[in-house]
Amino acid sequence: MITLLPCLAALAPLTLCLAGILPCRGSARDFVRHAIVAAAASLAFVVVAGLACALVGPGRSPLLGGAGLGLSLQVDTLSAILCVLVGFIGLVVVKYSLNYLDGDPGQVRFTRWLLLTLASVLTLLISGNLVLLLAAWIATSVSLGRLLLFYATRPAAIRASRKKFVASRLGDGCLAMAAVLLYLHFGTLEIADLAAQARAGGDIGAPAITMAALLIVATAMLKSAQLPLHGWLIEVMETPTPVSALLHAGIINAGGFLVLRLGDILLLATPALDVLAVVGGVTALFGSLVMLTQTSVKVQLAYSTVAQMGFMLLQCGLGAFSAALLHIVAHSLYKAHAFLSSGSIIDLARASWTPSPGGQPHPARLILALAGVVGLTLLIGWGLGMTLRSNPAQIALGSVLLMGLVHLMANAIDERPNAFVVARGIVTAAGVAALYFALQAATAWLVAGSVPVGRPVDGTAPMLIAALVVISFAAVTLFQNQMMRRADAPFWIAAYVHLRNGLYLNTLANRLVLTLWPRTSNTLSTNP
Amino acid sequence: MTNAALARPVDATDVDTDVTLEARIAAACARVAPLWPLKHFVAVNPFLGFTGQSFAATAATFERVVRTRILMPRAFYRQALEQGRIDDAALKQALQLHPETGLDLDRLKQALHANAPSGAPPAVVATVAEVLDRLAEGDRYVSLVAFMIDEISAFCASYFDEGQANWPNPARKLKLYAAWRTLAMVDRNPEVMGIKGFRKAVAALPTDPVKAIGVIVERLGIPDRAVEDYLVRALFDLGWSAYARYVGWSAELDGRRDDTLVDLLAIRLAWGFALFEARTDAAFKTAWALAMEEAAKLPVDHRLDETPELAVDIVLQDAYEIVFRRNLVARLVASAGGAAMAGRTARPQVQAAFCIDVRSEIFRRALETACPEAETIGFAGFFGFPIEYVPIGHLRGGAQCPVLLKPAFIVCEAVKGANDVEEAEVLGLRLLRRRVAKAWKSFKVSAVSSFSFVETAGLGFAAKIATDSAGVTRPVPSPVVDGLDPDIAARVGPRLAPGKLEQRATGFAGSQAVDMAEAVLKAMSLTGPFARLVLLAGHGSTTVNNPHASGLDCGACGGHTGEANARVAAAILNDAWVREGLRTRGIDIPSDCWFLGALHDTTTDDVKLFDEEDVPAALAADLARLKTRLADAAHLARLERRALFGIKDASGVDAAIKARSHDWSQVRPEWGLAGNAAFIAAPRSLTRGLDLSGRAFLHSYTHEQDRDHRVLELIMTAPMVVASWINLQYYGSTVNNAAFGSGNKALHNIVGQLGVLEGNAGDLRVGLPWQSVHDGSRFVHEPVRLNVFIAAPEAAMDDILRRHGGVCDLVTNGWVMLHSLGDGGAIRRCVRPGVWVAASGA
Repeated sequence: MITLLPCLAALAPLTLCLAGILPCRGSARDFVRHAIVAAAASLAFVVVAGLACALVGPGRSPLLGGAGLGLSLQVDTLSAILCVLVGFIGLVVVKYSLNYLDGDPGQVRFTRWLLLTLASVLTLLISGNLVLLLAAWIATSVSLGRLLLFYATRPAAIRASRKKFVASRLGDGCLAMAAVLLYLHFGTLEIADLAAQARAGGDIGAPAITMAALLIVATAMLKSAQLPLHGWLIEVMETPTPVSALLHAGIINAGGFLVLRLGDILLLATPALDVLAVVGGVTALFGSLVMLTQTSVKVQLAYSTVAQMGFMLLQCGLGAFSAALLHIVAHSLYKAHAFLSSGSIIDLARASWTPSPGGQPHPARLILALAGVVGLTLLIGWGLGMTLRSNPAQIALGSVLLMGLVHLMANAIDERPNAFVVARGIVTAAGVAALYFALQAATAWLVAGSVPVGRPVDGTAPMLIAALVVISFAAVTLFQNQMMRRADAPFWIAAYVHLRNGLYLNTLANRLVLTLWPRTSNTLSTNP
Repeated sequence: MTNAALARPVDATDVDTDVTLEARIAAACARVAPLWPLKHFVAVNPFLGFTGQSFAATAATFERVVRTRILMPRAFYRQALEQGRIDDAALKQALQLHPETGLDLDRLKQALHANAPSGAPPAVVATVAEVLDRLAEGDRYVSLVAFMIDEISAFCASYFDEGQANWPNPARKLKLYAAWRTLAMVDRNPEVMGIKGFRKAVAALPTDPVKAIGVIVERLGIPDRAVEDYLVRALFDLGWSAYARYVGWSAELDGRRDDTLVDLLAIRLAWGFALFEARTDAAFKTAWALAMEEAAKLPVDHRLDETPELAVDIVLQDAYEIVFRRNLVARLVASAGGAAMAGRTARPQVQAAFCIDVRSEIFRRALETACPEAETIGFAGFFGFPIEYVPIGHLRGGAQCPVLLKPAFIVCEAVKGANDVEEAEVLGLRLLRRRVAKAWKSFKVSAVSSFSFVETAGLGFAAKIATDSAGVTRPVPSPVVDGLDPDIAARVGPRLAPGKLEQRATGFAGSQAVDMAEAVLKAMSLTGPFARLVLLAGHGSTTVNNPHASGLDCGACGGHTGEANARVAAAILNDAWVREGLRTRGIDIPSDCWFLGALHDTTTDDVKLFDEEDVPAALAADLARLKTRLADAAHLARLERRALFGIKDASGVDAAIKARSHDWSQVRPEWGLAGNAAFIAAPRSLTRGLDLSGRAFLHSYTHEQDRDHRVLELIMTAPMVVASWINLQYYGSTVNNAAFGSGNKALHNIVGQLGVLEGNAGDLRVGLPWQSVHDGSRFVHEPVRLNVFIAAPEAAMDDILRRHGGVCDLVTNGWVMLHSLGDGGAIRRCVRPGVWVAASGA
């Protein structure tokens, strides 16, 4: 059973792959209907594999190859959860594209690459050897690249895909080099063996491992669109909406998966985790601030993804690995829905014509909310005996939650604070907090053993990072609640302009790409 | 060069230059057609600013000045000839229409088999952008033109944004140009992209937009006679021009003056100027000097013989339309000739009035089949009631009338049969739910809380995705019933009683209702005899996740469903006091006659009846029979429509069509008004039994009852014009979707909650999506200008044309083909007022 389990899971990518390369005999719609059946079957396979994994424990196939190199599969809770997620999103997206691309001359081609992309991602998730993982990693970005260039004559699509190409190849290179370093050090690329050796410890701080860890972190950051190479992600809406949904829900978080999968190795090199936390945290703030200024729904969603991925990697960097996994799954589902339903914005806008009950927000509301939340924090911290030095991750992530709740309460209290609305706000916030902790606890229980529990708190870096997170997130919360809508002083106008332009990072990247590839097609064809 | 510019003396150098410039700016701005926001998207004639010149001349203007084609590609006509859709007779007839081309049939056919040369027509005036494009050999990213469009578009989006961004543009309270200058002076993006000295160039420009335009035109050295064309060209580079024109249009309806479009023009020119200043290399300077030289020696004529390739396509387009017209005329002659022109005498069992919308034609025919004793009527779907309909909890509502009008009445939505206490409860609950939704949304999208939101609420979307995907739920609640309990939502309707909403009078007071009722009945030619049940059916569509949803609703109701208007009209006509008033004015509605408000769902063809419980008990049997017949008719209509949807299985047609209406991935929930090609104002008896395939607007009109031709005047100046707007919108989106349409729906990206971009950035898109006119293998809409047939005396029509210059332009310049439908089925076409020629049917 232990070896059968990965084989069962492997049926999923095989089915998709087969459906993707079979010749199209009937109409395009018939082809897509078959693709839906294949996607449904592969979801069934991974669900069964996931259930089996929960019942009998993780499974691992023998290595096809030698000397620790070759093909092998591995199914544990981490891969099972993500396989079910990707299988589900995949089925929804393939079904969506049946009618969405109806009549498009490229519908069959589109569906083929969609299936192959899904197959690559599923293979990535059940890879047991870094060789297979690297191959699937590259296959994912190549097949996704074909989807991003689905309308190959659109200049903006070409430009974005070139940027993506640069980021992807850099990532591939980093991962390949990391694999070489790991192989030289550990003598195997079997992931389970690597993890076992890492857990045994002893090599903490070895330069080769630190180097490998930094390369792995760099790969993850490149895959998950972290600063400063995030630009491609916000420009790939030049392809049909289902691709965006799949990209933002199923592929972009491969960076997080890589970190979780190789978490044991990263724990041997905490500076790499510090880098991850810093870059993730900065990207999270950057992305969410830029998101506030964006006016088109899809670009707003893309910046939101940049931010969410940053936050997820921040969680990884702080050692909150199970929280990061929860974040990946929850974000995927939310973002897939957000993209697929992005045409409904007008309905939302029509419904929200109601003016607010009147007046400016009451200045007391944030003070009320802040007082409540700070009190709560102090109480809990005192009760559990946590300090910033001993529990930086809990304090940092906990305060992000609390600041979110402050914002929720402040908005629930709105313009006319009285005992009833304050009470209502507190009840809402308490409900959200309870749900949050329940989900965190459940995830931690579920993935115990397949991702590390936490990271060692060594040195002052984690504490500094945590303190920075608290201070900067608090500053943003305060700004957004008190100043944003009234910020018309020259300083704020400039800040608005710079942020609306994403601090010009993307423009710089575009210019660089244009210098590297000066020629683009001059035929702008929008009609399929 | 446009005709308007031609009309002015070009050497009048002594004229005050500022006045001249302002006049030129105004003329250029008047060329732009408005774009309504997606919340109430209505059809607009994209050639609105050009109807003062002929169709052929406009085609030439567009090619020369805007570099945009307004005809199909040559290959389309070639294929039409091969398929017999165009024949030699039609080609000959079309050639006769354009003797100035000097073409004969052989040369035309030769040209037909060659592709039009791709070389650009001679330049009229090139913008900086165009010269840069040419130097970059079409690579718009190297030339920075695409970058310029992206930047202007992003700024406009932030300025006009209706609530998408949480952090709004801090300068949005300034006027457009001032706001842009404020931001542009700190914006480093152009310089990062390599446009040197951008902020300095902007800062050096005058703060007044008109002065800025003047300075730029002078500094660029645009020759005097090319200035207006230069401005037109610059405006047509931007889809946002259309939205700015809409802002101005709305202001004008309110009697305000608005210069937003001039501001935008200044921004566009300032950008071009900055690009100009940044390029100091010899290649560019030479190219620019050449372009200005060319601009100075403008072609001064629009005669077709100067543009032989365009002339070929014009003739082909005419031939294409001639065939369509010939067939239609022949069928109309046969149908109208056989019909009895006698007025109504016997009392029909049921009368059913629908909107003139082409989609009603299919349903009316189906209803007449299912219920032969029914008489159907066509009338503008707002039933003559221009109202602002204010939903519960709102303070302002949408204008439910054609966009040419301003609402005359405010009607509030209310819960039927509710007392004050219950109304207050419903209102309080809805407002509370809105506030909760708002707080939750703020939790979801704000900078810091969005992370906590994802971790707590994200997993819940798994179920939402599953049910939305299965079509069981809507991705978001319908805006109409959002925040109302289902039982309450079923009870809401318009309240007619006079009231107040924030100092504005609502409802109908005094004799207003009687006046309206009289006007409406006369305009519908419905003055008796009245059936026992008279159905007044507005229409609306049911789609989900469709940015252009309101475009499928009733255009006559300003891009809303016609529910409120139909219910208001029915309620007023049922009012005993109103009927008393009508009787004194000679319209006698019998006491056993009841008006029923209804809504025809154009996506599913279901007809929903309103206020059934108010129908007198004596009519219960009639009502039951009507409902059965309507269900039968709905099924027949769906059977007819299934071919265009490719539904092969006739037995599953009802379910298949209904599934489209709640499929979030459906890009063609219905075909809307695709195919529209004719407008017929005549008694239904002339067309009854004629299958017009959902391609004709049908307006009921009996000229014998309209002695002073006031109703005729109304028809020709309102519904006919609106129908032509719709027709030309479809025409534009079909012949050149890149310019007049909104492109591929699969790429649409809603911007500012008001319009769509195609892809992640770029310009605001106007018009209809590609999917609305094309099914993937062929055009479902045929590019045919509107053929109007009116059963009325020609002299009366001449008189109306002479008094309404705008309408006369449409007819004489070939934007609509006006025909008279005489007694016995004689059809004649109006060339110009007073000149009517026999229309030939095959």
